[in-house]
Amino acid sequence: MAKDMKIKAKEKNGVVNVKVMFTSLMADAEEAEKKKIKPEFITYIVGKSNDKVVFEATTSGFMSENPLMKFSFTGAKKGDELEFTITDNHGKTETGSKKIK
Amino acid sequence: MFKLDRKLVTIGTVLALSSTLTLTASAADESVYKSKPGAIDGGVTYPRENGNYTAYRYNEQSTKGVNFGRPATANEIKAWDIDALPDGTGLPEGEGSVELGDELYEAQCAVCHGEFGAGGSGYPQLAGGNMDKDENGVIITLKNQRVYGSTDAPKRTVGTYWPVATTLFTYIRDAMPYAHPKSLSNDETYAITAYILAQNEIEIDGEEMDDEYVLNKEKLAKVVLPNRNGFYPNIDGPDAQENIRAFFADRAKNIGAGTRCMADCKDPGGKDGKTPPGVVEIKYEMSDVRPPYAYAKDLPPEKKDEAAHPGKKAYEANCAVCHKTDAMGAPAVGDIQAWATTLKHGIENVYKNTINGKNGMPPKGGTSLSDARIKEIVDYMVSASK
Repeated sequence: MAKDMKIKAKEKNGVVNVKVMFTSLMADAEEAEKKKIKPEFITYIVGKSNDKVVFEATTSGFMSENPLMKFSFTGAKKGDELEFTITDNHGKTETGSKKIK
Repeated sequence: MFKLDRKLVTIGTVLALSSTLTLTASAADESVYKSKPGAIDGGVTYPRENGNYTAYRYNEQSTKGVNFGRPATANEIKAWDIDALPDGTGLPEGEGSVELGDELYEAQCAVCHGEFGAGGSGYPQLAGGNMDKDENGVIITLKNQRVYGSTDAPKRTVGTYWPVATTLFTYIRDAMPYAHPKSLSNDETYAITAYILAQNEIEIDGEEMDDEYVLNKEKLAKVVLPNRNGFYPNIDGPDAQENIRAFFADRAKNIGAGTRCMADCKDPGGKDGKTPPGVVEIKYEMSDVRPPYAYAKDLPPEKKDEAAHPGKKAYEANCAVCHKTDAMGAPAVGDIQAWATTLKHGIENVYKNTINGKNGMPPKGGTSLSDARIKEIVDYMVSASK
């Protein structure tokens, strides 16, 4: 089975650059009908580091399949854990984490 | 006078006769492969000479005056014989970690193949397809048909489609990066191969490939990709040739109905079925090569390096992937004519296009450099192409 997300986080000069890709069909009602599947898309994404929210987004089927996010933040160092939690339209949550390099 | 068409008929009769004779002769010999009616090339047997057979029609045209060149030298064979078999034979020594591959991938591959191998506009996706299999062991995404109304094409990534991982290595080494292939060392190629396998969540010997995983010759040979058995006929091993022949020989079962026509064919599109087929001939035959093919293999003379331009380093880091050669459709640095065309509407226009993007060129070449830095790079590229 495919993992839920791929995370890449690198710290340089105090700034952590993050790239994260979530595994989801991102099929809204219209697209799901065409593909003859159930609608499935991420509705909420939150990224936390040291229990502080560093990324938060409310989303819907507007994003493409397997959406990719890029952002950067300050206030974390190498070795800290970066954790993402996504919630989909069925209320299912998935969590993934990775150490900052 | 003996007309050409009569000659053809005679040859045809002789051929037919000889094939009947040889086929009868071979009926007793079980080891000789026999073709079935309707078989196509690869599955057919043609008589050759002295009771020998060949799988393809033996060309009996005169070869008088045809120059076959010279035998390849040992060094030429060595340079050509660089493939790697599925069991790892032919792979060079070396090793590379997933982490190094990640860095290299981001610098040289992500521009086209996308972050995490997710694919870019027009360039192949390398990872991300769902590798779930159905009850027959067929990867589900490969069953998606490209039919009207369907929005889901088969996803053909390394994880879902490629049968053998050793070809991943040889392909990257020989053909990638697109704009300047063969620029990666063996270690770097192992690293990128490792990264792509890791992105596809391939396990080697039951071991997951994390960032610290180091791939080498032995480990690469052990990789079993999910679609290993998805191809037919089986072309591996000593039975390969027989498998292929048997596959092509039973055309009706393996390929589909229809008969092949090689002589006196009626136009299949003709309404009455009697109209002769339209023969298309080559209008302009190639008769000369100018300038003639050269055998000299000297490298072009090296230029004395001028004092490094401030934009040179940034160019090499960010733009050379596409602009080093014209393979991507971008004006290549050093191509005087291409840059004269580019500069036709003035340097300000070039700055503008570089910053805002144009056609296949992403805004600022996909970088996040300042406008001033971008202009510096453009200045370097223009000055290097005069």
